[in-house]
Amino acid sequence: SRSRSKSKRRSGFDMAPAAPAMLPIPTAAGQIPGANPAL
Amino acid sequence: CSRLHTKPSVSPTILLSNMYQRPDMITPGVDAQGNPIDPRKIQQHFEDFYEDLFEELHKYGEIDSLNVCDNLADHMVGNVYVQFREEEQAATALRKLTGRFYAGRPIIVDFSPVTDFREATCR
Repeated sequence: SRSRSKSKRRSGFDMAPAAPAMLPIPTAAGQIPGANPAL
Repeated sequence: CSRLHTKPSVSPTILLSNMYQRPDMITPGVDAQGNPIDPRKIQQHFEDFYEDLFEELHKYGEIDSLNVCDNLADHMVGNVYVQFREEEQAATALRKLTGRFYAGRPIIVDFSPVTDFREATCR
């Protein structure tokens, strides 16, 4: 059985998103806000 | 079911939407790179998640019930339902969890009307 005391895994709580996840989130329609689709 | 459920303004139960993501969420038993995953690893991953969750949530109150939807279908995927002993404890948890992240993803938290998980089906 693994040791609970020393090799405690880091909790996933407050683990911030990686850089690419900080890009604008596409809206439900799949468009980037503010970006006009090419016509 | 229209799935447009009413969200109560207060409840002893909170819902953490889509919080648990299985390592084999795309194809059962296979990771995102297409390599098979040992079922024990999937189980361990789930247990680690459950432990993280329990350790964080029990700071806010007594937990009566902690349910994780470990499913692969779209409906309710990864939803976590946490029932506290008192509504006030659930309110504290909701306040403390709002705006935070878990494993790089935002935590989406709301009150849930469910107070009896044996009777939780939607009619």
